[in-house]
Amino acid sequence: MTRPKLRKKIILLSITVIIEIVALIFFWNALKKTDVTNGQASPALGTSGGLPNLLGDLNLILPISFLVILLGIACAFYVEEWLSATNWVRRFIESQVAFLTGIPSLLYGLLAVAVFFGYAGVFKATLQNAEGSALAGTPFQRNTALFYTETLIFILTVMPVAIKTTQTALRSVETPIRESAYALGATQWQVLTKQVVPRAFPRMLAGGCRAMARAFAAAALLVGIYAWSHTMELRGFPDRFMLFLGGALLLSNASSFLTEIYVPASTQHN
Amino acid sequence: MNYSIEAENLNLWYGDFQALIDVNVKIPGGQITSLIGPSGCGKSTLLRCFNRVNERYGNVTTKGKIEVLGKNIYDADVSLPELRKAVGMVFQRPNPLPISVYENILFGLRIHSPIRSMTRTESDQIVEEALTSVFLWEDLKDNLKVRATSLQLEQQQKLCIARLLPLKPKIILMDEPCSALDAKGTGAVEELMEILAGTYTFLIVTHNMAQARRVSKECIFMFLGELIEHRETQALFEDPQHEKTEDYVQMRYG
Ligand SMILES: Nc1ncnc2c1ncn2[C@@H]1O[C@H](COP(=O)(O)OP(=O)(O)OP(=O)(O)O)[C@@H](O)[C@H]1O
Ligand SMILES: [Mg+2]
Repeated sequence: MTRPKLRKKIILLSITVIIEIVALIFFWNALKKTDVTNGQASPALGTSGGLPNLLGDLNLILPISFLVILLGIACAFYVEEWLSATNWVRRFIESQVAFLTGIPSLLYGLLAVAVFFGYAGVFKATLQNAEGSALAGTPFQRNTALFYTETLIFILTVMPVAIKTTQTALRSVETPIRESAYALGATQWQVLTKQVVPRAFPRMLAGGCRAMARAFAAAALLVGIYAWSHTMELRGFPDRFMLFLGGALLLSNASSFLTEIYVPASTQHN
Repeated sequence: MNYSIEAENLNLWYGDFQALIDVNVKIPGGQITSLIGPSGCGKSTLLRCFNRVNERYGNVTTKGKIEVLGKNIYDADVSLPELRKAVGMVFQRPNPLPISVYENILFGLRIHSPIRSMTRTESDQIVEEALTSVFLWEDLKDNLKVRATSLQLEQQQKLCIARLLPLKPKIILMDEPCSALDAKGTGAVEELMEILAGTYTFLIVTHNMAQARRVSKECIFMFLGELIEHRETQALFEDPQHEKTEDYVQMRYG
């Protein structure tokens, strides 16, 4: 790889890492404000219907994840079939996908937990400040900001995997098949519908399942950790939780960062 | 003389690497012309210009004029599917589609005509005619449902020629069509080309100079993106006008 290319990649990935770190600090601060930090489970989480609320959110988020997968597949088609390997949009998407798929879904789940705890606490605290302790027993209402954040995290979990697996599936259809169809006068649409998609379909389906599995894993984790957090002593939990989560995120950043440098994401057409 | 392809001041770049430099060439109709030259000199690139498949390779810039059958193929009103229907292509590695022999032959027609416009009898007849023209009918008539990629290489390459025929092309471009075949397969494909040559214009890239001498009437020698010499095959081999041509021809024959 030439020097300027390498520099470009390093800059691109550094930006991503910085965004990631800022996000972490933000979540950590949000978490600091929760009652959980005091070493006791927040009454808001424990008694005010947080779990049903969480389950209600998930009922919506999982179907949304499914739509996101379809969107990811469409995006992969666009990138793989319509953009040249040197197009900057394609290079950007591919590097982001390589970076995001490098993060295990477990970490996303934990991130979701951090957000959930963080926002839930903040929300609860605001309620209490505004109206005093009179509201302490009020059922936890749907928090739209929280809902959107959770959805965003699910999108980040699912979308890159959908894009990546679809792209791999499309690439698995050998060049000669495309070449011969084009040379016979097939349009791009015909090549895709008559040759490429039928052959790539099983792999695309498998990829969709993998993406959905990531969504379910994150959801399971969310529910699991929620339940767990109410049955055990939480002293020192958030700090150490964030320390491990932060470490894991940074390490997996580092790993995709390094592979990005040595293995270029986009390969030339031959 | 009627020419099937006429290129004028053809220049082509891959990114900023110039692969074709001021190529002027006229390919006569209804006969076989061969294209020779050292590896990387731009033979495949030139060939792929004539049905515009080069454009798929990403960062390609083409300048100059190419007329195919009297029509400038870079005009805005040119339809690529129609161009590729008239200018068929055979590749180095036989590349039938991984579907049945029968469907391979019909694939071209199916993409060019509205859905279900053929009756079963019509399509049966088209398949039989195409396979008969390439002498595969006797071998394959009981195996039409067989997956084309499981045939012998020689049969696959003949099938790749056969599947062009239902589209009634005028020109057939071949990029080293025999390099994956053994001597017997090569002989069979050459014989086939000679028989079809009256009906179609052939332009064939080859590394095998004996093959160029055997099959082609005219021969083009290219070197580093330039067209050096274009003459009757026999004259080019026996009395090359350019030093580079002579070196190349001698090197293999000296
Ligand atoms: N898609 C591409 N992108 C960039 N450069 C290319 C591409 N295809 C070919 N080239 C370059 O253009 C030059 C001509 O290539 P081309 O394939 O036309 O040569 P050739 O004469 O057919 O060689 P060979 O006999 O090995 O098949 C070579 O230097 C090659 O590296
Ligand atoms: Mg070549």
